[in-house]
Amino acid sequence: MYSWFILFPLLSVIILNLPFRGMMNKIAIWYALALSIAQVYLVLFPVNIVMPFLQLNLNADIISRAVLLCIAIVLFVTILSAKYLIKKEDKLFNFVNLLFICLAGMNGVTLVTDIFSLYVFIEITAVASYTLISFYKDKDAFEAAFKYIMLSAMASAMMLAGIALIMLISGDTGFFAIREALKVSPHSSLIVFAIAIFICALFIKGGLMPFHGWLPDAYSAAPAPVSVLLAGVVTKTLGIYGLIRIMVSVIGFDGPLKQALLFIGALSIVVGALAALGQSDFKRMLAYSSISQVGYIIIGLGTGTALGIFGAVFHLFNHAIFKSSLFLNSAAVESRLGTRDMDKMNGLASKMPVTGITSVISCLSAAGLPPLAGFWSKLIIIVALWVSGYRVYAVVAIMASVITLAYFLSLQRRVFFGRIKEDSMNIKEAGIGLTLPAVILTAIIIGVGIAFPFLRDAIKF
Amino acid sequence: MTDKILLLPIIIPLVSGAMVLLFSNRFRRAIEMISLLAASLSLLVSIRLFKENLSFSLPWLGQGLEFSLKLYHFSWFILLAIASFGFLIILYSILFMRNKAYLNQFYSYFLLTISFASGAVLADNLLIMLFFWEGLLLTLFGMIAIGNKNAFKTAIKAFIIVGITDLCMMAGIILTGHLAGTLAISKISLSLNGLGALAFIFLMIGAISKAGSMPFHTWIPDAAIDAPLPFMALVPAAFEKLLGIYFLTRISLDMFQLSPGSWVSVMLMAIGAITIVLAVMMALIQKDYKRLLSYHAISQVGYMILGIGTAVPVGIVGGLFHMINNALYKSGLFLSGGCVEKQTGSTDLRELGGIGTRMPVTFICFIITAVSISGVPPFNGFFSKELVYDGALERGWIFYAAALIGSFFTAASFLKLGHAAFLGKISEKNKGVKEAPFLMLAPMIVVTLLCVIFGLYNQLPLRHLIQPVLGGIRMEGHDFSGFPGNMKLVLATVAVLIAALLNHIWGVKTKGSGLKAVDHIHHAPILSGIYDRAEKRYFDPYDMGLKIADLAAKIAFRCDRAVDWLYDGLAVKVTFAFTRQIRKAHTGSYSAYLAWSLIGAILVAVFLIYST
Repeated sequence: MYSWFILFPLLSVIILNLPFRGMMNKIAIWYALALSIAQVYLVLFPVNIVMPFLQLNLNADIISRAVLLCIAIVLFVTILSAKYLIKKEDKLFNFVNLLFICLAGMNGVTLVTDIFSLYVFIEITAVASYTLISFYKDKDAFEAAFKYIMLSAMASAMMLAGIALIMLISGDTGFFAIREALKVSPHSSLIVFAIAIFICALFIKGGLMPFHGWLPDAYSAAPAPVSVLLAGVVTKTLGIYGLIRIMVSVIGFDGPLKQALLFIGALSIVVGALAALGQSDFKRMLAYSSISQVGYIIIGLGTGTALGIFGAVFHLFNHAIFKSSLFLNSAAVESRLGTRDMDKMNGLASKMPVTGITSVISCLSAAGLPPLAGFWSKLIIIVALWVSGYRVYAVVAIMASVITLAYFLSLQRRVFFGRIKEDSMNIKEAGIGLTLPAVILTAIIIGVGIAFPFLRDAIKF
Repeated sequence: MTDKILLLPIIIPLVSGAMVLLFSNRFRRAIEMISLLAASLSLLVSIRLFKENLSFSLPWLGQGLEFSLKLYHFSWFILLAIASFGFLIILYSILFMRNKAYLNQFYSYFLLTISFASGAVLADNLLIMLFFWEGLLLTLFGMIAIGNKNAFKTAIKAFIIVGITDLCMMAGIILTGHLAGTLAISKISLSLNGLGALAFIFLMIGAISKAGSMPFHTWIPDAAIDAPLPFMALVPAAFEKLLGIYFLTRISLDMFQLSPGSWVSVMLMAIGAITIVLAVMMALIQKDYKRLLSYHAISQVGYMILGIGTAVPVGIVGGLFHMINNALYKSGLFLSGGCVEKQTGSTDLRELGGIGTRMPVTFICFIITAVSISGVPPFNGFFSKELVYDGALERGWIFYAAALIGSFFTAASFLKLGHAAFLGKISEKNKGVKEAPFLMLAPMIVVTLLCVIFGLYNQLPLRHLIQPVLGGIRMEGHDFSGFPGNMKLVLATVAVLIAALLNHIWGVKTKGSGLKAVDHIHHAPILSGIYDRAEKRYFDPYDMGLKIADLAAKIAFRCDRAVDWLYDGLAVKVTFAFTRQIRKAHTGSYSAYLAWSLIGAILVAVFLIYST
């Protein structure tokens, strides 16, 4: 059944571009919405549909399913906001086609069971992303996309080299086969080198410090719906999910590797948060915040314990939700004020109450305030660090959440609180295409946060 | 008669006090009627209860706590005294308070005070007593606070001083309950050593502070100026003495066995002696009728504490007798002050003078109560003071000397007060002053008559009210009524009184007026410096406490600023220093970012290879 998750979006692209395009133009967007809803449904309630042809070797455990769910939810809100923000019909049609390619790539990443297919799907998604970032063909976006391509090229090279070296030893690219092969000779320096460059490639894709150079530009220069998609799921699926999958299914956790993950994670948390504190561009602050939040996921993973990995995946999910919501808020503000400079805003909450409230809740979830969803995942990660004996990292994680709160409160104060400025007296709340998705995401944040104790029992990790 | 009647002295004023509060000040007559009715009912009930031995008990609040009341030979006359004073002073207040603001609050607090005081006297459980005792703190605050415009500050002062000593008492009650295993007063019997002594001291602080002894007295002179006068006549002059000394007697005689040899007894006597002398010295130099009286209210407590502290029968009897005498003449004196205030509009001695002929009844009442307080035979103060002297001399000449010095200054200051207020030249403003109305004179006359009766027929209070308190065994067959047995002491007293009179005459002759009759003492070489500082409140423990609290607050503020600076200043500065460096590093050049990634990858690879 999981083959459908990859094949259906790809087939859709072909069907949409068949000769009767004129008719497809209109329904494409609704079709995409329906597809994302169908994916949410199928992830939550799996149906076993046997494929008559083309049996792919796929597997979906609970981690994959969590990521598939994220992808579907974020895709849904991306499409809604795109419908609202992209006015030209054929532009929107192109956008939807690119989204389908992205979707096929990301679903592929989450479902594959061999590292070469992993590489291929990562590349598919990445190529679609470059195009999406430069969708409006403006200078900033080209520059951002170019940086992304350059760093991704380096990542691709490292990944391919890593795969080649691993192939030398295992003779196969399947996760299971590599795992068995690594058990025979785990500590040869060639293998360690191969693993190192493969992981670093994923660090680049995931935008961790110091591999993050492309990320702030790409997030802030991309069109608003693309920012939502990129921050919410693309980098998370390519880099972070890839890393989790490789660590859990292929390499396994040993001491130095955990140390490396923990260190990179903590570095990302602290430096990302400090950098976010210094930003005055709404989306750039969110971009640096993403780096910081991804750091939490990585140190959770770095514990190597079931609890830590659970925390990491849960935080990945939460991050996808609250960061998408915040990017939607930034889009709402930008669409009304025409700027992303926070120094030119003030007191917008009085004019844009829905945006204001959803952003406060999303920020608080990101900063880890109970009872919102983000609190639980951070708590689990910190507890996992503590019980695994990485007390220093636990303290770093706690202290950094103070900085997180600091920059998010500064964001709130500069954008939404306070007295409204003269020149923005006449602005109105953003349209339903931006507020409805934000409300849905905020509802998920609150719902998951409150229902977490029940969810924890329901999910058998 | 059922035992439930014991609840009446508490419930009648309580309910009527609450009821009064429902009326606005426009219904003056209704408020007055209800108050007077409640006070007379209380008085009737107290008279009915006189000489009854009753106890009443009700489970309360769970935890095995009993709401128990007990009426016996000691509480009889305290209860009667409370009801009588309450009635007389309400009668007096009706005219005195007529045009004042907060009428309903005044009467409500007044009645509640009567209720709580009755409850505290009747309570046979320390916790129940504490409940009523703390209720008195509230009404005390309320009654002072409704006075003049400075009254609120004074009310706060009184509240803090009395509140702190009440806390001591609370600690004492907890400790006593812990040591004795019960809170029922009549079952407690502890010895005065170790923790027992500590418990006694805590309870004693509560008792003597309620009575207004030094060093817990400083709110009284302030309240004398700021609070409504009937409050002064009722609470500091009568109720607080009755309650404080009642409780002191109970803890010394019933709950703890205070023996003449113990250091606690010496401590009590020392407190008494110091209070007598210092307070009367302060009274001497006052220039205000009410403030002068208030210092005497403090000074006289010294005699009672000294008497009870002697722990010998004659001293205790003297102390208790002095308690009831003081309540009589001190409230009489305050009432006379009220009459003067009502008729002339002032109590400042510099503005008074010569009104004795225009207010003859008030003047006569003043003379009788003043000679009573000075201890002139054959008035009541003389007999109780002689008993205290007797007890004090038995324990040490120094205490007797202090008491005698106190007597000298008491007489001197009342000679000054009477001379300055009632004799001498009358001012233009007071030319038209008339005698106070009968309703105000009547309570004062009753009290004054009682002073005379308790003096001439001292067998009546001593045999029937006070000596039974100690019981036959403790009295060892003595009877202290009648004229004092020790003629030497009487002669010494008379000599001191004559000396005070001569001193006054000499003072008037040299300084030229009654008001300045004691200036030679006020401006004596060493004393004048001490007086100046005392008048500036340098010795007021409350002001000292305020200064210390102020200092502590300043230090705490500095600490707070330091912590704030740590977070708001240093932490933020350090954070933003890092932030600036990070921003500087992000130049936007993709080659730099590529280099970072490459270096990062090399470091990760090297680290992994070398550590595995």
